[in-house]
Amino acid sequence: MALGGYANRIAHVDLTAGTVEYRGIPEDWARKYIGARGLGVRYMLENGPQVDPLSPDNLLCFMNGPLTGTEANMSGRMAIVTKSPLTGTVTDSHHGGWSAARLRWAGFDGLLVKGKASGPVYLYVHDGIVEIMDASEVWGKGIHDTVKFFRERYGEKDLSVIAIGPAGENLVKFACWVNENDRASGRGGTGCVGGSKLLKAVVIKSAKKMPKAANLEAWKPAQKRALATIMDERNITSPRKGGLSVYGTNVLMNITSAMGALPTKNSMVTSFGPSAEKISGEYVKEHILVDDPTCHACPVACKKEVEIKEGPWKGLRMESVEYEPAWSLGANCGNDDINTVAKLIDMCNDYGMDAIELGHPLSVYMEATERGYTNGDGGLAWGDTMAMVEMARKIAMREGIGNVMADGAEATARYFGHPELAMTVKGQGVPAYDPRGLKGMGIAYATSNRGACHLRAYTPAAELGVMPFGSLKVDPLAWKGKGELVKIFQDVHAFSDSLDLCKFSAFAESAEEYAAQYAAMVGVECTPEDVLKIGERIYNLERYYNNLAGFREGSDYLPARFTQEPSTMPGSEGHVCELDEMLAEYYAARGWVNGVVPESKLRELGIID
Amino acid sequence: MQVNFYATLRPIVGGRTVEFHVGEHVTVKQLVDVIVERFPRLRKELLNEDGNLYPHVHVFINGRDAPYLPNGVETVIKPGDTVDIFPAVAGG
Repeated sequence: MALGGYANRIAHVDLTAGTVEYRGIPEDWARKYIGARGLGVRYMLENGPQVDPLSPDNLLCFMNGPLTGTEANMSGRMAIVTKSPLTGTVTDSHHGGWSAARLRWAGFDGLLVKGKASGPVYLYVHDGIVEIMDASEVWGKGIHDTVKFFRERYGEKDLSVIAIGPAGENLVKFACWVNENDRASGRGGTGCVGGSKLLKAVVIKSAKKMPKAANLEAWKPAQKRALATIMDERNITSPRKGGLSVYGTNVLMNITSAMGALPTKNSMVTSFGPSAEKISGEYVKEHILVDDPTCHACPVACKKEVEIKEGPWKGLRMESVEYEPAWSLGANCGNDDINTVAKLIDMCNDYGMDAIELGHPLSVYMEATERGYTNGDGGLAWGDTMAMVEMARKIAMREGIGNVMADGAEATARYFGHPELAMTVKGQGVPAYDPRGLKGMGIAYATSNRGACHLRAYTPAAELGVMPFGSLKVDPLAWKGKGELVKIFQDVHAFSDSLDLCKFSAFAESAEEYAAQYAAMVGVECTPEDVLKIGERIYNLERYYNNLAGFREGSDYLPARFTQEPSTMPGSEGHVCELDEMLAEYYAARGWVNGVVPESKLRELGIID
Repeated sequence: MQVNFYATLRPIVGGRTVEFHVGEHVTVKQLVDVIVERFPRLRKELLNEDGNLYPHVHVFINGRDAPYLPNGVETVIKPGDTVDIFPAVAGG
């Protein structure tokens, strides 16, 4: 391959045959789809969109981008790409820490895993090779013990362990991969696919071998300029100054609640009132924060390590109390006890479950209980902390009603005979922004290619006015223009997810910084317009995959609660989400026909010949 | 009038909620002037060189960002209104 920057080495692992082959990246694919998310989806398309997610034929991709593990800021990211057992769509879920960088330093752009092992295995990745090893000793262990086991076996130095826990082994549909104890590729059930293949862990051992840019002369100013934007005090990424660095992502809890945009009690209301403060980033910093860990090449340090000081989980030290899980297991479940929130997130990190998704079957059960839909079942009360902890265990172990809830919110709502209780899109639970108070999130959830998601198009950046250097601010309650806005965000994020840079870089860097770094690292020409075009191609590639997988006209929707039940809380009172209006605008901007990519668009973007 | 502060603004004002003595019919803009006069360190956090609120700063009156109210920062704050002031916040 003529492109620089890449290792140009992908390990193709067949767990059924027990073989590993090493191949380069098709240059045409690298140019069109870059790496990580985009390239992973291209491999998924090649594997066939009709595949059963839990069959040996499904492909599980651990993918880096050309900036992963380089000197680029916020470049410690890896995408896990597969067909989701939760949504039936193609999905990609990213994690931070150091495993992505170490995978690159070990000589790989990615690992593609197919087949099913005859017994539990793990992959040992080092020095340009991948070995398939027996994992029977750790099968059944939680992620924390699994990490400990491999640290004892291989030594802690230069080691990363990405593992599934009991939830993945038990095929919980929202099981995830967790890296280095607590950095999760959370969404979409990628850990469930790992469990179906009897793949327990990916263990990577590699010292730092920083990749060199193809165009060194252009690289240094490009990297320096990007760093300057992150460090600038006008941006929220500013280390030890900006809200994201000081309080972490959970700095959002109070503002979304105050503006009537915090889905509360299964989205029955849009604010948690004074209780929001008790689970906020400000409260965490004041009461339980003990450290601010970071990831490879990141000066922001948004992770927040806490130690519980009192109560039944006194002494538990964990990271990280993020906004999304604090919402899901807090406001969403009517729970304002921060210690229980931390305990539940730590359980998710140990069992290997998506902490955003876990709150959904719980809150469905809680609303069903309140409405008397549980048919004599004991029920689950809002904010019953001890019961939530026990229910989380039952879900991970598929015990009792936990066996139903392990299949997600939609299965739980159907079980109670009220599917309307599931706050999901394409099977995946909505994240922590109520689209009645932040309208852009409504069209973003509906048109996300991996089910409800805030990270496909992070419109709050514009709706809360935190674009780089205050470059854009739009009214969160207005719907006009949001369809076009979401398309732009989706395309830019598809590009940065393929580099693979942390999403938070978008609070400081623009397409110009992305283009300059990519061009210098790989040794090609790239303009901000190219960034948008490549991102558009990747977004259409995913949509094409989903269309072929059966998501046809009418597949982009929101739960009726958001479009039919007006908010009753200050800030968004009286508002619903005007989805139909935004969808029309969005499809016009995309050139799609009611959610389906026409062949002419596929040809225009070079996805098909 | 009570004003609630959040995130990086709290260490500057020394707490979550601060009482300000203002007359009747005070506008959002006038309130902000009173606030930065009492806490001068807030000036560069809230206002740009022209003395206008930064786009990333939010002054909520009953949950609605002041620039989006019909009268914008000239909106008169009524007794009983909830006033919240946020610096730039985001995450995900």
